[in-house]
Amino acid sequence: MAAPLLSAALRGARAFGTAAALCRWAAPLGPMPNEQIDVGNLEALEKYRSFTRYFRQAEKEGRKARWWKTYRQYASPEPEPKTDIGLPHGKLLKERKERKKILKQNHQNAEMERAARLRTVLIPLDEVRAEWEKTSGPFHRQRLAEYYGIFRDLFQKGTFTPWVSLRVEYSQEDEHLVPVYYGNMVTPTEASSPPEVSYEADKGSLWTLLLTNPDGHLRETDAEYLHWLVTNIPGNDLKAGKEICHYLPPFPAMGTGYHRFVFLLFKQERPIDFSEDVRPTPCHSLKMRTFSTFDFYRKHEDSMTPAGLAFFQCQWDSSVTWVFHQLLNMREPVFEFVRPPVYHPPQVKFPRHQPLRYLDRYRDTKEPTYGIY
Amino acid sequence: VGMLEFVLSCFRFASTTASLKTETEVDTRENDVVASDFTNRNPRNLEQLALARKERGWKTTWPKREFWHRLRLERTQHYVEAFVERCNGDVVVSASTREWAIKRHLYSPKGVTACKNLGRVMAQRCLEAGINFVNFKAVIPWERRCDSIQEFEKAMKEGGVVLQEPRRIYL
Repeated sequence: MAAPLLSAALRGARAFGTAAALCRWAAPLGPMPNEQIDVGNLEALEKYRSFTRYFRQAEKEGRKARWWKTYRQYASPEPEPKTDIGLPHGKLLKERKERKKILKQNHQNAEMERAARLRTVLIPLDEVRAEWEKTSGPFHRQRLAEYYGIFRDLFQKGTFTPWVSLRVEYSQEDEHLVPVYYGNMVTPTEASSPPEVSYEADKGSLWTLLLTNPDGHLRETDAEYLHWLVTNIPGNDLKAGKEICHYLPPFPAMGTGYHRFVFLLFKQERPIDFSEDVRPTPCHSLKMRTFSTFDFYRKHEDSMTPAGLAFFQCQWDSSVTWVFHQLLNMREPVFEFVRPPVYHPPQVKFPRHQPLRYLDRYRDTKEPTYGIY
Repeated sequence: VGMLEFVLSCFRFASTTASLKTETEVDTRENDVVASDFTNRNPRNLEQLALARKERGWKTTWPKREFWHRLRLERTQHYVEAFVERCNGDVVVSASTREWAIKRHLYSPKGVTACKNLGRVMAQRCLEAGINFVNFKAVIPWERRCDSIQEFEKAMKEGGVVLQEPRRIYL
């Protein structure tokens, strides 16, 4: 009872109850929200008149950066600024006039207007996708790769915008194609044979294709497994390139969940000698397959830049058992999910405001204090 | 929490294999040694296994943050935009009639047709990004009955995206 009276006496403003006994009112460290609104003259203010307008304004204000730190800013550290390691890209400003012309033609088209009014228009999704790959596709792919943590795990402080659109498709027995986009779900049975890779390439250029699994390493957390490495590919021809590491089908262990498999396409400026990275032709040793994209890229940084990106997700499947037993010649590991234990502060001899089950939290056995009666 | 801790529970034994060359045997003998703790760094793993935590507070405000991915449709005076975002605000997939790829095929970048076609494009992009379940509760209830939002919802459902997130598994 003394606390509200105390705070009211100290501030002389409207009193409200506080748990803190000794608090001295101090001025806020920055501008408070809604300070600019003049409450004296309420009729002259512009009102919202609708919930939608208020809600949109509220969402916008919620996303603004404030001078006070939110819980997220305390809990997770600020991300460091990343360096761009990709290819440079020039903007084309001449397209604006052409685009305006096309839009004007659309507006004058009576058929389009009728179709829009009767709600029968269906956009050709293939054309939209092709145009998207050229215009905002690379930025969307970069954003998704950032979300999936690919840049954080493969290139620690570098990002790149994948300007070259990489098309990867796994072909099945019944001539059915399983494409790999950015975050697809592909089963190990579908991915058991090497895929068909296609991309736009000039005649004299050289490329490197790499398939890694940053999640699957059975011994260390930070290492990746190399599944496929083809270098010095002239133009589009994958078979003409030198296959340094032959294709190994994905093997995500049972119980470990979804693993990411990343296809990286690097553009080479000159033919590079990869003799240090050559693996023996039937390479089934996991130690030889242990790989780090960061070190690999660091070694050949001067002559190679990342240009294309495609990744898929993979879960355990019965073909993984076959890969473990026949190809890798080892027992198949099976994992189980274990949640990290709940944190309890150190036990106190005289706990304040705690129920009797406080003792249950620190007991070694599992006898509860409730449910006895 | 993105990190997943797994504990090795058992080994599944291999069936009898044909005789291997001695070279490959030497190579693969070390494969058997596996660490008992496994950490999966994939940030999407936990939510795809329905084991990740959803932010359960915010019950006195609207909209709630109890989701892994939320679909938000913004209809402004001139354009229609759709975003799929996480509870901390990071946009994962987005589509808008502001993009040239979509704008050139439409008569008007606002309205029911724009919403419908945006829904089809958005469904394709979500499936390509591996997002199959989205929360679509951040729509104002009396606006939910509008033709444009209903067409958008129908287009998303026909595209293959489920507009309800699975319940979390409490283990």
